[in-house]
Amino acid sequence: MGYVAVKGGTMAIEASINRLTYDRLKEREIIEVNTIIATMRAMVDQVMSESSLYSPFLAALAIKQAEGSMEEAVFIMRSHRSTLPRLYYSNIIESDSMLVERRISASFKDIPGGQILGATTDYTHRLLDFSLAEETRLKNDQWMKQYMEKIKQEVKEDGEISYLPKVVDYLREEGLFGTYELDNTMPTDITKENLSFPASRSARLQTLTRGQTGAVTALGYASLRGYGQVHPTVGEVRVGKLPIYVEHPNEPEQTAEDSYYIGEIKVSEVESFVPVSIKNEQNEEELDFEIGYGICYGQNETKAIAMSILDQCLEHPEASFPTHDEEFVLLHIDSVEATGFISHLKLPHYVTFQSKLGSIREVKKKGGAQ
Amino acid sequence: MKRKRRTEILIQSDTDLAESLANQIKQTYSFKEIVAPQYGLTMVKMRESAKKSLFYIGEVLVTEAKVELNGQIGIGIIQGMHDGLALNLAIIDAAYNASFPETLSWKDALVAAEAEIKRKKAKQQAELMETKVSFETMDV
Repeated sequence: MGYVAVKGGTMAIEASINRLTYDRLKEREIIEVNTIIATMRAMVDQVMSESSLYSPFLAALAIKQAEGSMEEAVFIMRSHRSTLPRLYYSNIIESDSMLVERRISASFKDIPGGQILGATTDYTHRLLDFSLAEETRLKNDQWMKQYMEKIKQEVKEDGEISYLPKVVDYLREEGLFGTYELDNTMPTDITKENLSFPASRSARLQTLTRGQTGAVTALGYASLRGYGQVHPTVGEVRVGKLPIYVEHPNEPEQTAEDSYYIGEIKVSEVESFVPVSIKNEQNEEELDFEIGYGICYGQNETKAIAMSILDQCLEHPEASFPTHDEEFVLLHIDSVEATGFISHLKLPHYVTFQSKLGSIREVKKKGGAQ
Repeated sequence: MKRKRRTEILIQSDTDLAESLANQIKQTYSFKEIVAPQYGLTMVKMRESAKKSLFYIGEVLVTEAKVELNGQIGIGIIQGMHDGLALNLAIIDAAYNASFPETLSWKDALVAAEAEIKRKKAKQQAELMETKVSFETMDV
């Protein structure tokens, strides 16, 4: 049974859109885009990550338009993205160029450069803070003044900027982890070509990093609980900013020094250490470690850790575990695809449903006749 | 000064440095806007640290402008939506490409701005070091 074209909804749709605007405006409150950028950092980060478009301003505007609906904000961002020309590809970013704001390791207490907690909710009591309901600019300014004075008194500046060594590099230097040559194979771009299976590692990572936070987290969690075979130790979680450079589009001879600096992106990056059994030269089983890699735009450590689990799962396909099945994982974690397909169920299915209903009536009629 | 270093300074500097340098050129020379400031995307290519392979983390919104000055093309690219800055960056880029004498006199201002950027970053980093854990092993 096919679909039939129907009409008659135009006026109702127009009225519905007006009603949507009315619902957004009826309380006569206005939230500024800058307020969203300044106070809803985690939400802005999540929208940028899931839409795969780094722009705090556009993400905040999308959140405002979507009235805080994550799926709608991501959808709007993806739509907008499709209207923009792709002007450049960046030079390769090496993540050790990150200016770290936070970095911790669950594997080692003493890591080169130390454990820096930065700004995190990890150590807060998850109790509602009712004082925020009475927040005033004056009180906030007073807190800021006191804090900045305290910092001024306590912080010793040496004028030097340091880039922290990676925990995994330290272990590689000790010969505890395997080393890899730089692999400069041109990555797949899933925005230019459809995902096909088996997927390349680059296609997997690109799909995972723009996956819906909840979906990536849920599947990573499922793997930990037994629907997969990866239970890692977090080697390092980093949050910080990475500089972006692009080459001149048509200068024939240029070095890295001739590139354009265009700005920086804040990311969360994770290396998870996963124990695996390998066979040595004597064909005996011994323990080794592999690394699961996770990264995403903004500060979203849960997603980055879950991605590192799924990266490792997909490196070792196993038919008996859904989280090790790349088709299962990669085809179901995209926010726009998943919410879009679920949403399509709201579209008229009058003919298909009537057809099914007709079949059931026939069956019941025949059953009644017997 | 090479392009990488000067664009780092011009973009990270808090001051209106790019505007003041571009104004010097605008007052003396005429330039043609080849591409008026436009918004577009830059796809960000990264190397992952597990197997050292490459992948795309996503796109970044940028503003791009192109100008022609004395037969030389200059490009301005900046993350986000910054029409004026993109145009000023393009004018400065063209001035360097054309080896205008003005560019020689800019070095001191750029180096001073660079020192200020480094000082601020070092200060921010030192402030974050307040959150560095100082472990003490307990006797149990």
